[in-house]
Amino acid sequence: MINVLFFGPVAERIGKSALSADYRPNMRIHDLNDELAAQYPQAFELVCFTAINGEHIRDMSTILPDNSEVAYMAKFSGG
Amino acid sequence: MNDHVRIQLEDFSQDEEISALKSTSKSMGGIGTFLGCARDFSEGREVSQLSFDAYGSMALSEMNKLRREAIAKFGLLDARIVHRIGTVKSGDNIVFIAAGAEHRLAALEACRWMIDELKQRVPIWKKEITPQGDLWVTQHP
Repeated sequence: MINVLFFGPVAERIGKSALSADYRPNMRIHDLNDELAAQYPQAFELVCFTAINGEHIRDMSTILPDNSEVAYMAKFSGG
Repeated sequence: MNDHVRIQLEDFSQDEEISALKSTSKSMGGIGTFLGCARDFSEGREVSQLSFDAYGSMALSEMNKLRREAIAKFGLLDARIVHRIGTVKSGDNIVFIAAGAEHRLAALEACRWMIDELKQRVPIWKKEITPQGDLWVTQHP
């Protein structure tokens, strides 16, 4: 199982702050992106950053471990 | 209050943060600080309050990394970062950064560097609450 988190403007457009995605062996982060972006296109327009287990991910071919926490995030605006 | 880096709902005291910073070293000759506050306007609109959302665990981890990097990069003696989340009324405090060094230049430059990096790297999002509706902020002026 993959725990998917959304925050701020992305969560608002999706209408929730978390969901669970089924885990598949050798699943890559871009596979999950593609599935969710197709389901929530308006929210994913805003996504600028992706994190796995709290670490920024730039290589979208990264394989997702089971029980990962994945966050899709809009541009930050703290401070 | 003892933690050098915090995310919290409640307000903070600049005096207490500076005292805590000073207490770490008597070699501190300069302290640079930045206080971010909630404005009552944005792009011509009245703003009554701000609402902050954060990816708490990652934000705290990034802020701790930021502090460690600033200490190494500028040779600081110590640094502190506090950011509020939840609802903040216009005029209230949002973020406080303090950098302590032997001399003023490192303290001031480190403080500027930390707030600029925080805005780019730390997963916190700000929403402006206005009479015309709510709006998530996506820019870094």
